[in-house]
Amino acid sequence: MKRVKVLLVVLLAILAVSLVPVSAQDPVMLTMWSRDSNQAFLRELVDMWNASHTNQIDLTIIPAADFVTRVGVAAAGGEAPDLLPIDLIYLPAFARAGSLADITDFVDGLPFADQLIPAHMFLGTYEDRKYAVPFAAEGSVLIYNKGLFEQAGLDPEAPPTTWQEMYDAAVAIRGLGENTWGFYFSGNCPGCNAFTFLPYIWASGVDLLTPDGLTATVDSPEVRAALEFYKKMWDEGLIPPSAQADTGTDFFNAFTAGNIGMVGSGAFAISVLKNDHPDIDFGVTFLPGPEGGRSSFAGGDTISISANSSRVAESFEFIEWVLSDEIQLSMFASRGQLPLRIDLADNEFSREDTRLITNAEAMALGKTPYSFVYNQLYNDSTGPWLAMLQQAIFQGDVEGAVTTAQQRFTEILATQ
Amino acid sequence: MATTAQPRSNSAPVAIRWQPVLIYIVCIVLAILFLFPIVWTGINSVKPPAEASASPPTFLPSRIEFENYAKLNNYGKGVWTYVSNSLVTALITVVGSVVLSTLAGYGFARFNFPMKNVSFLLILATLMIPFQSILIPLFLILTQLRLQNTLFGLSLVYITFQLPFGVFIMRNSFASVPREIEEAALLDGCSALSMLYRVMFALVRPGIITVGIYAFLNSWNEFLAALIFMTKEANFTLPILLTSVRSGYYGAIDWGALQAGLMVSIIPCVLIFLLLQRYYVGGLTGGALKG
Amino acid sequence: MPEQLKGSLDVGIASFRRNTAARSAAQTTPVGRRYTGLFFALPAIIFTTIFFILPLLMTAFMSLHQWPLLGQSRFIGLENYVNMTRDSQFWNSLWFTTRYTLLVTPAIFILAFVLALLVNLPLRLIGTFRTIYFLPAVIGLGTSSLLWVWLLNDRVGPINGLLNQLGLMERPVIWLADTNAVMPAIIVSIVWKTAGFTMILLLAGMQAIPTELYEVAKVDGANYWQRMRFIMLPLMRRTFALALVLSVIGSYLAFDQFYIMTAGGPQNQTISVVYWIYKNSFTNFNLGYGAALSIILLLILVILSAVQLYILRDDTTY
Repeated sequence: MKRVKVLLVVLLAILAVSLVPVSAQDPVMLTMWSRDSNQAFLRELVDMWNASHTNQIDLTIIPAADFVTRVGVAAAGGEAPDLLPIDLIYLPAFARAGSLADITDFVDGLPFADQLIPAHMFLGTYEDRKYAVPFAAEGSVLIYNKGLFEQAGLDPEAPPTTWQEMYDAAVAIRGLGENTWGFYFSGNCPGCNAFTFLPYIWASGVDLLTPDGLTATVDSPEVRAALEFYKKMWDEGLIPPSAQADTGTDFFNAFTAGNIGMVGSGAFAISVLKNDHPDIDFGVTFLPGPEGGRSSFAGGDTISISANSSRVAESFEFIEWVLSDEIQLSMFASRGQLPLRIDLADNEFSREDTRLITNAEAMALGKTPYSFVYNQLYNDSTGPWLAMLQQAIFQGDVEGAVTTAQQRFTEILATQ
Repeated sequence: MATTAQPRSNSAPVAIRWQPVLIYIVCIVLAILFLFPIVWTGINSVKPPAEASASPPTFLPSRIEFENYAKLNNYGKGVWTYVSNSLVTALITVVGSVVLSTLAGYGFARFNFPMKNVSFLLILATLMIPFQSILIPLFLILTQLRLQNTLFGLSLVYITFQLPFGVFIMRNSFASVPREIEEAALLDGCSALSMLYRVMFALVRPGIITVGIYAFLNSWNEFLAALIFMTKEANFTLPILLTSVRSGYYGAIDWGALQAGLMVSIIPCVLIFLLLQRYYVGGLTGGALKG
Repeated sequence: MPEQLKGSLDVGIASFRRNTAARSAAQTTPVGRRYTGLFFALPAIIFTTIFFILPLLMTAFMSLHQWPLLGQSRFIGLENYVNMTRDSQFWNSLWFTTRYTLLVTPAIFILAFVLALLVNLPLRLIGTFRTIYFLPAVIGLGTSSLLWVWLLNDRVGPINGLLNQLGLMERPVIWLADTNAVMPAIIVSIVWKTAGFTMILLLAGMQAIPTELYEVAKVDGANYWQRMRFIMLPLMRRTFALALVLSVIGSYLAFDQFYIMTAGGPQNQTISVVYWIYKNSFTNFNLGYGAALSIILLLILVILSAVQLYILRDDTTY
């Protein structure tokens, strides 16, 4: 029934389109939806495109929490927009469902096709066909307050490289005053912690899923150790109590107040801190493993064209424009955002600030989980990932947390 | 401020042997508890932004300014677009709900017809399904009707979900009008429709206003359908703005903007209620309980 | 209570009931032609059919399918319904929603009844108080939930600020993330939002009772509490039934407050049934299963409402 409906709508749309004579000169109005993180930047980018091109883009910003719902419903009715920037972790599910247009030929035709960030391209490829290219890159890193490091007698140029060093630094900074805290994380935010906590697990040499993404491997001593690491900092009051309830609203806010020593964060934080909080002297380093080692979550957005779009070629012109040298340097690199092409990672702007190079390196060594049920496992506020963190860290039951998570991961993986 | 309730002769089972002073104290304490969330939000919304999100919170503003309200324009197409979309949607919903409920209420109260009880129960059953459950089918139906991106289409859905309450209230309002009035009008040669229009309308006005206010409030405040059925930012309504403010930039809530947004959402509801409450309460009182 | 008083009351109540019964019997006599009424009701019926019955049938149809939000659907018969029996979160949610309903309903009713008694007193300015108590009811549930997110915030919220100033709190309570505090916090916010509406319904019921009954009782020496117990409460059965059914349906369909205020946390303890439906449909992309849950919830509500109306049925028929 749904298929018939969708078919009907598509036929109607084709009919409507074919009735209107379209000459090559007529401007096309393309539609684009995006989640609302980083909306100011996106608006500027689209305005810039609209000012310089005949084909126009109508941008709609949707609250992040409802974005997938919104797109899913629209896709069901054949009403999805032409251009669709989405959080890359949803790509496997979207591509498998046939919601995205196959743009392999367009992508392969780009002169810099082999320079696009590999993590994004890996997620955007399904059964050897390409459905997306990078649109925003975020590698998770550890951001630390150099001023507090100095006050606490720590070397601000030698950030921690092991969990023990992180813990020691947190203790020292906590000692500075009643309202100064060693560490911060958003205790009720599943996505934030996938971004900033999973790398500790990866840096220990293990993962929660097998590489094919089909089997759960949560129950390991390394995962327990990582949870114990956070639990210890929580138990000893090195983390503000408000962290427990934070659904991500203070994921970044907390650090800008200047009384937090260290926090896991991403590239967006570097540019915002530099622009809006010049008073905070901060450093950027890698999220470490227990005894050294490092890892990062290679996240961000990709951009696709939806399967029901009748203007794939026109839409791809915008994508190609975004990835061009000019835009990558003038709009991305100049604002401290990571360029989406490896050949541009080293540029005049990144050379000015080594923190950006650290971020780009983190991005390059980063991982991204490939799973059709990522949303259910990691991103869902009621999912097993967040439940495990909370049970282990706030309730202190590491053993029970890991056992339960292993079981629920397995259950969810069995449903796909 | 309207003191609408005249002291009633039938406000039994009362015999005031209690001390009125004691009663007033209880009333005032309760009033403070009921008012404080709204009042405090109002006060906070006119603080300078930094003060509005101060920790620990302060009570009175150091100075009054409207910066928080101005910031609402940084979200999407700006607050006025959302307010006017919400108003248009609410108006269509109010008119539609009132017309449909009045007609149906009259039909159910005064006539017998085939399937009367079944259709009445079906209308009431609308109350029992969570909206989330029929979101996708509704979207597909609106798409078929080519109404998926229109405030009008959104209003049609809202009207449907106002019908259980509206038809119930209007049926009871008509049922409480003495039959003799109608019979006299019919003898004078009025048709059923013109009689409804000329005679009954005035008598069931409290019910109509009740249904209208209720439709306004629900339409004004609805979020999920508005977000799902509108595909263009230019058609978003006020509750979507609130959600955007809540999810914030980089996930960080701007508390001042949130408080301002809440006030923009609350004030029209409160004003409309205060202006029309005499009828609203009357409509519920006269109608709701006789059914 | 003296026999004599009881006797006179019974007569009074019976005649009240007779009168209303007679009045309503007259009202249902047909006036016009057979289809006139249908003509009036038709627009409402058409709307309900297109935007409620039809989507509901589609939902029922979807519930028999493996129906992903994105991609192809597949007929699987009753498998979604069978899976429900093994879905521990569904049973948790059903139990949680029931517990929530059992807690929030009496809280609303007791406060609303007290408020209704107060604002029914013939005192000056009492109308102003009634207006104030009703005010939160005109705010949307989503808006009020956001309002309480702020009020209850542990860093910037005034509730913690006040408790702190009064010295009632050693360290900030994180209301919405504390497993013990979250339920009371939600209930307070909902009672604040809803009590005024229930108050008006109950008030209307109180005022529909003829004054003469109280006067007769008063002459016979019944005190305030006796008059409430033997006249007001029995005659308000129908009012209670209506308010109760509305309140229970509303509580079982609770979504906004959990979606906005707790997002199901802490530790998945506040996932209501509708939230679970939403999660399955739009987070897990499993629309078919969400549809099956919806159908079951609808059945539960129909049964619950029927039971309540049966228990609180009134001899008076309309």
